[in-house]
Formats: sequence, structure tokens, C-alpha cells
Amino acid sequence: MKWVTWENIGVDRMGCIWLIRRWIDPNAEFLFVPVEGISLPKGAKPFDIPGTRYSHHGNHCTFHALLKEYNVPDPILSQIASIIDEADLVQEINVEPIAPGLDAVCRGIRRISADDYEALDRGILLYEALYTELSAGNG
Amino acid sequence: MSNWILLNYKLPTHPSALRVHVWRKLKRLGAILLNDAVWVLPDMPRTFEQFQWLAAEIQEMQGDVTFWRSNLVMGLPEAKLVEQFSKQVHEEYKTLLKRLGKKNPDLSRLSQEYQQIVGRDYFQSEVGKQVKERLLALRGEKG
Repeated sequence: MKWVTWENIGVDRMGCIWLIRRWIDPNAEFLFVPVEGISLPKGAKPFDIPGTRYSHHGNHCTFHALLKEYNVPDPILSQIASIIDEADLVQEINVEPIAPGLDAVCRGIRRISADDYEALDRGILLYEALYTELSAGNG
Repeated sequence: MSNWILLNYKLPTHPSALRVHVWRKLKRLGAILLNDAVWVLPDMPRTFEQFQWLAAEIQEMQGDVTFWRSNLVMGLPEAKLVEQFSKQVHEEYKTLLKRLGKKNPDLSRLSQEYQQIVGRDYFQSEVGKQVKERLLALRGEKG
């Protein structure tokens, strides 16, 4: 299955890509399109693009929307969703200390990557590391 | 010269909870409402994304919304606009400084409030640096 999102991925989309590859669609292919001027390619599922099904809803990030839709029963994934909710959106109340750091590291990863494909690989590594650490009961 | 992002919206009168929700988000972002008409923020990757999502959210609420990227041509000088942003955080920082000066300040709570203000301190206020130094000094005393 092909998935499409806007270019210049950050904390939410790196998380979504990891979630899709690891839990939803192991053969997923990702396409990145500019924010303006281009219509979305047909046959690819859009995510984290405003106005589409898998995007922000209320105070929740796109990772949260995907997790809810595909219903992966893993409490660590719910915790990661809550961290991304705080990293990517302005919240009144913050309870996840990892959130601002994760956001900064994801922005940095995109900056040091030649393109979104390189950032994607590094983002997957980062989220795999986060998942493993949280699964060990830390954070 | 810096660039600015502008947001203008209109929401249905009811339910009022949606209007409050959007207004609080704008305040939390530290956006400034110019002449009761347009919300302004400096154009940065983070602020841009936040306005983008807020605009999408307003559309979902059946509201009208326009979101621009712009630069100043006439009227309010750039420095004055920056000053409005700085003034907003200055006042919040000064209140924090006052509370830090009191006996037995609640440091964990005050440092959390500090972090929230830093999130909307777009022009790196000097008073902010003072608050940070004060917090670090108090941490030193306690430790």
C-alpha cells in the first residue's frame, strides 16, 4: 500500500511512519508531496494532511487517529500517542516530560537528513528506541 | 526583515465552547490580536504548523478561516510589533520573578510555568534569562 504525506516530516509523521511499517502495513511505501500546489496522488492513503481522515482531531495528533482506526492493542503505543499529542500540539496541561525533547530531536533529524527518505529511516530507529525504552518500564 | 503569519476566523455563535477552545489555543500560542481583527504570530516552522492545524480545526467546526503568510508594508513598525510580543511575556516573567522572591517558593510549579512561557517567548526576552538564572540559583541553594 502507498501512503502519502507532506514533505519535511516531524515528530508526528515520523511516529506515524514507524507505526504503519511496524504494526499496520509492513510493505508500506511512502510518498512525500509539497504543501502547496500539488493534488494528492490517487491510490495512496493520505495521512497528517489537514482535512483528511488520518490527521489531527481535537487535541489529538495523527498518530492517535491511526492507532484508533487500526486498533493495535498495546498500551505502550497509547503512551507514545499521548507523548506526540503534547509534542506536536499546544496543550493546556502537560504530563509527558519526554514530549518537548522528542519534538526537538525529530526537527533536528530532519535538518541533518538529505531528504525525507533519509529522515524516515532515522525516525524509525528513534521510535523503535523509544518504544523499547518505554516497554522496559522507563518513562 | 521578519515575516509574519496571520489568522482570521469566524465561528458559529453556538456552541460557545468551540469559541473558547480556539481562543485559549491562540492565547497559549502567544498570538496577538491586532485591532480585534487579525491574530498575528512570527513565521517560524512551529508557529506555522500550529496555525495550519488550528485553521483545519476551525474548518472542521464549520467556521470560516483565512490563514496568510505576510510581511509588513505600512502602519505598525516591525519593532513595535515585536515589542508587543515581548511585552506580553515580560509581564508573565515579572510575575514569576516576584513569586520567586517570596519565602519558600514552590519551585517545581514555578519552573513549569516558566517552561510554558518560554514556549511563547519568540524573541528571547532578557527578563526570561533572569528568571532562568534565578531558578537555577535557587536549585543550587536547595541542592
